[in-house]
Amino acid sequence: MKILESQNAVLSNYEVYQHLVDHQKTLKQKQRKGPGNLATLIKETLAYLKTTPSPLAKQEETHHYGPDVVARLLERLSQANLNQDLAKGEVLMILNLRPSSIAVLSTVIEDMEERFSEEEQAAILEVIAEVLGRDEAGAAGEAGGEEAMESVEGGA
Amino acid sequence: MFILTKLADLVQITPSDFKKSSLDAIQDNINEKYANKVIQKIGLCICLWDVTWASEGLIGHGTGLVNVNVEFRLVVFRPFKGEVLLGRITSATQDGISIRTDFFDDIFVPFTELPDEATYEPQEALWVWRDEDQVMYYDIHEMVRFQIVTEEWHDQTPEGPLNMSEELPDGRAISPYRITASMKGSGLGCCLWWDE
Repeated sequence: MKILESQNAVLSNYEVYQHLVDHQKTLKQKQRKGPGNLATLIKETLAYLKTTPSPLAKQEETHHYGPDVVARLLERLSQANLNQDLAKGEVLMILNLRPSSIAVLSTVIEDMEERFSEEEQAAILEVIAEVLGRDEAGAAGEAGGEEAMESVEGGA
Repeated sequence: MFILTKLADLVQITPSDFKKSSLDAIQDNINEKYANKVIQKIGLCICLWDVTWASEGLIGHGTGLVNVNVEFRLVVFRPFKGEVLLGRITSATQDGISIRTDFFDDIFVPFTELPDEATYEPQEALWVWRDEDQVMYYDIHEMVRFQIVTEEWHDQTPEGPLNMSEELPDGRAISPYRITASMKGSGLGCCLWWDE
């Protein structure tokens, strides 16, 4: 075994989810069984990715995530006119966790209060809810967030 | 949370696998060898992502094995420092809280990384966060959000009988890859507290 490149790329949870689901499908089509250790691990990983509050919990019904989800998220974030860009790791965590409240967003974005004003924070949350969807239970959302969405849409 | 790692390895296909197509045989071989294994300083391998290059198969003298040199990429679980993940609490001791994801068990939150007001309840074996008049429990099996602080690697290559020990002094098995995490700060801790 030789390691050629220890980190060739970073994957989002969605990409891994899709890869595992596709892998299971091809195995079924070819009527073939993969190694047992892999089957167990795929089962466990998919179970983890599908547990609420993971955003992929209802992926099969809602299809909020798709191949173009990263591009769409970045485009909408740039339209929101934030005073600075989010780091790659921060966007990745937004994709993986889909924060639905300011408190959770603050864990994902470093020094959020210094970097972004309150309106901008609400705008980020709205972009997340719009592009990545949200849980039905939390569909009511925050009143502040709703207003921000209207202003963002008006601007766009 | 997941990364791609590029590796090169020699794959040996046994004659019993000749009925599979070459690519299937290579994939199964790689998955069998790497899935659910930890490579030191790389992470926990999940599965094969793609095969980028493969040589011609060569049969050596004396065996029927087909030897193929393969370059491929693996999906690897390796959260970066500062990343926030979801997991479930498995147990609590006065040293801190153990967390697992469905496929990875060795995540630990030491008591120093819990909120300052948190205290341990020995009777219930639970950590409790008393914030002003609110009492919040870190229940077992509760879904929590935590942030990666450090990682520890223990190479488990055998070193001969003298240094053999597979357990720590406290009887816990040594794990090849262990993550220390934090639940200090707003937004971290049980998901129920923060989701609106």
